[in-house]
Amino acid sequence: MLTFRELKAGLTQPLSGQSYLYLRDLLRELVARDMKLRYRDSVLGWAWSLLNPLAQLLVFGFVFRFVLPLNIPNYTSFLFIGLLAWSWFQASLMGAATVIVDGRALIRRPGFPALILPLVSVVANMVHFLLALPIVFLFLWFTGVSLQLPVILLPLLVLLQAFFTLSIAYFLATFHVSFRDTQHLVGVGLLLFFYLTPIFYDTGTIPDRFLFVYRLNPVLHLLEGYRDVLLYGVWPSWGGLAAVTAVTAVFLLVGINLFQNASYRFVEEL
Amino acid sequence: MVPRIIVDGLGKRFRRYHPERPNTFTELLLSGLRRWRPEEEFWALREVSFQISAGRMVGVIGANGAGKSTLLSLIGGVGRADEGRVTTHGRFGALLDLGAGFHPDLTGRENLYISGVISGLTRQEVADRFDEIVAFAELEAFIDNPLRTYSTGMQMRLAFAVAIHIEPEILLIDEVLAVGDIAFQQKCLDRIMQFREKGCAVLLVSHDPGLVAQLCDEAIWLQHGRIVANGPAELVVDEYKAAMDAETKRRTPASAPVLRTTGGAELRLNENRFGSLEVELTGVALLDEQGEPAVELENGRPLQIRLNYRAKSPVAAPIFGVSISREDGFVCYDTSTDMVNFAVTTLQGEGAISLHLDRLDLAGGAYFVDVGVYEGEWAYAYDYHWHAYPLLINAAGGGQGVLLPPQEWSWSESAASPRSMAP
Repeated sequence: MLTFRELKAGLTQPLSGQSYLYLRDLLRELVARDMKLRYRDSVLGWAWSLLNPLAQLLVFGFVFRFVLPLNIPNYTSFLFIGLLAWSWFQASLMGAATVIVDGRALIRRPGFPALILPLVSVVANMVHFLLALPIVFLFLWFTGVSLQLPVILLPLLVLLQAFFTLSIAYFLATFHVSFRDTQHLVGVGLLLFFYLTPIFYDTGTIPDRFLFVYRLNPVLHLLEGYRDVLLYGVWPSWGGLAAVTAVTAVFLLVGINLFQNASYRFVEEL
Repeated sequence: MVPRIIVDGLGKRFRRYHPERPNTFTELLLSGLRRWRPEEEFWALREVSFQISAGRMVGVIGANGAGKSTLLSLIGGVGRADEGRVTTHGRFGALLDLGAGFHPDLTGRENLYISGVISGLTRQEVADRFDEIVAFAELEAFIDNPLRTYSTGMQMRLAFAVAIHIEPEILLIDEVLAVGDIAFQQKCLDRIMQFREKGCAVLLVSHDPGLVAQLCDEAIWLQHGRIVANGPAELVVDEYKAAMDAETKRRTPASAPVLRTTGGAELRLNENRFGSLEVELTGVALLDEQGEPAVELENGRPLQIRLNYRAKSPVAAPIFGVSISREDGFVCYDTSTDMVNFAVTTLQGEGAISLHLDRLDLAGGAYFVDVGVYEGEWAYAYDYHWHAYPLLINAAGGGQGVLLPPQEWSWSESAASPRSMAP
């Protein structure tokens, strides 16, 4: 196992001196490339990126308001928060899975920090999430929900989700190099978890005997956090978020470790 | 002086896997771990040690699979050595995988930024050098067009221009000098030589021993992952070529039907004909400007050398070479398809390849045209005809030189003569 110091040295060693500045610029350029490519071909690029969550919003909104009414107050805002946070999570992981295989030319460059590639996937999709946030505020304002003080925790929640997603992204990126069906399995897994995570329903409706298992899902705590600070204007449950933070820290350390050790092998397997 | 690159006892082990090694979870579940584990291991590099000081240019030569690229990767910090270590001092530049990170839908400008940052510059540094890079690539008029509208040559120029503007202290080059037109290649080469004068250590990996002899101070010859020779470039390259000749002789069959050239000479294996004969030169013709066979040529006239070949089974990317030497063995002219990047793809069946010389300004005398077709990495010859095709050049007033270009003397007695003596 690598020690943390070795890990840090490994991260910065090839970049000598101006590493922080360089890493920041590299991240920025790679994220910008991602964004430009996605929006290049349409003038309404930003609106286009919202199409998917808005379409889902429309369908789920219709179904669970009129067909199978769940009777959740402010359902549109409730649902949209869940959908946005989930699509960030989902798109980041789908992207991270193939990031090494797609970036083989980059991996082969001397001094290129492969560790940055999963981060690019998470950050690029975070930018989409942030760009869509104004719509959430618009919905909230429209339905008469006024923001309360706890909303100041929103940036912290976003950061926590970013790190949690990243910690998983390192595992997926590593696996996909050896097992090229990782991306498909991730797709299937995410589809199942979409239903097993309270995105379009409320945690309160989950029967108590299942709740314990449900609570093992870190995304549940993140979603509850978002809804607490945005929709209900209350402070989130600290216990759940602390647990997510702890899990994230462990996953991230193990994930980076795994990724870093495997990254020496990437060149041979690509 | 502190060496920029120190390679000490470097070894890298590769694993060879079953060809049907599972590469998905599904296959792994179906086939089990049986085919997952490596079948055998081999050393791609072993006990490789050398140093490169600032301002030195070192070439690595060797056949395909000798470990050249692995060595380059390990020095660049890509991959991990199983033995020994690499120590480097200085900023890396790399002319390999040019265009990594390029995307056809982005403009030249956007690609330039991404590629500059990927190569190790900060955004600010790219911005500072932007105009210079664009000017170097000669793409001022096109820089805001999408990359997909660029020709391959333009894309390579852009990639090269970026790569060459990072002012490296250690420069790794992998075969890529063979891009773009000759003028641009020369420009890049000049730039590399400038770096070198400023103290940049250059490591060039090439399959072309001629290029290494021409450009490098020192050469390292790798064979099966080990250093066979390491020293002054010309000596190592000579050794390498000698080994190539030996390899050719070893592969030359004991006997083959004696061929007769159009000039009437006999081609006998192991006398004036060498090679494995995987590709055979079935006919060699020296043709004058009318396309008539020529054994005698006036100085300054055009010459076409046509090589008819036959390959019984497909042979990938061979090299054709022609040289003209004097009877005393002095080589006056030497060229190959590899040297000018003339791409010959897979040969199968019969065909012909021609070399056209617009004018042959050789001094009068007797010469031999030697022709050959070689393995794509110059590892050995498929078929080499030595001193089988004589050529007589007729010229008036040759003297002792090799060349006799069109010439004219002039004489001026006026005081404006540039070489007038000082009073």
